[in-house]
Amino acid sequence: MEKSRLCFITGGVRSGKSRFAEKKAIEYAIQLSGNLHYLACGRVSDAEMEERIRRHQRDRKSSPIAWRTWEYSTNITRIGSDLNQDSIILLDCLTTLLDNELFGPNIPLEKEFLHSVFTKIISGINEIRKQASCLIIVSNEVVQEPIFQNEFLHIYGKILGLLHQAVVEQADEAYLVESGIPLLMKGCMQE
Amino acid sequence: MHFVTGGAYNGKTKWVKHFYGLESETLWLSGYQKEQPTMTDFQGNTVVLHGLDAWIQQDAEKMNAESIRKRWKEIMADWRIWEKEKDDHNCIVIGSDISKGIVPMEAQDRKWRDACGWVFQDVASLSNRVDVIWYGINQQIK
Repeated sequence: MEKSRLCFITGGVRSGKSRFAEKKAIEYAIQLSGNLHYLACGRVSDAEMEERIRRHQRDRKSSPIAWRTWEYSTNITRIGSDLNQDSIILLDCLTTLLDNELFGPNIPLEKEFLHSVFTKIISGINEIRKQASCLIIVSNEVVQEPIFQNEFLHIYGKILGLLHQAVVEQADEAYLVESGIPLLMKGCMQE
Repeated sequence: MHFVTGGAYNGKTKWVKHFYGLESETLWLSGYQKEQPTMTDFQGNTVVLHGLDAWIQQDAEKMNAESIRKRWKEIMADWRIWEKEKDDHNCIVIGSDISKGIVPMEAQDRKWRDACGWVFQDVASLSNRVDVIWYGINQQIK
């Protein structure tokens, strides 16, 4: 079965990447007469997080096309039954999904488990792509620092880097958002 | 000389292998494996210095940043001489960028980071081509 269009968007914290991703999703929805789905992977862990989620919810309420919101902090394929071939999904974001899959089950971060988390996330993305028109994945740029000094950061940086490589390789378009300005790193601008 | 940089786990090595279609005729010297970044008896045309950041990390255990920079100027000068011996000779240097984080707590890590920055600048300036790899995508900056 043919896979949906894939768009990868990354950037620093507060770089405007989520806003750009929402704009992109709405453009697709208009262009492809699609329906919009917001797949939120974050957990409401504190007041600050709640405020951030509210702000994004307000943004989506003013959208010309209605969004449906799904909150799956792990096992993203649960969204599947509610999708169809006109669905445009915005996954926000890959880093929180990774956090939840890695640290949720309280399993030691050993090779086998890390590999299973990587495979689970990539196959989840593939599953969703088989059932939809377009998937937009938002993620975070991680700092480039001496991560090898700290075993934990090393593991985390490695698995996130490998996920980003795998997603970018499959992506039709990839953007790096800097201070609200999207830089096209792969693919071509849609007219 | 071709310098390839970018963050760790961004696919730099994979990109180099793919870009050059590298096969057995290549000498890989690895900083991560603590191999020496200097010439041995090798008859092929392509050498990859893999892990410039790792070599500099080892240097930072015993030298100051200025001496590290000087040492690498000498190492690279030797590789430039080797490249000039034959048109097909090509030296590719891969190094992970570690310059974009918070100032490290440990003095030795700060020294490592400073030395990396300087040596990377020197290697880039010697290179006729420089690419930054972002999750497998190259951006040629020189």
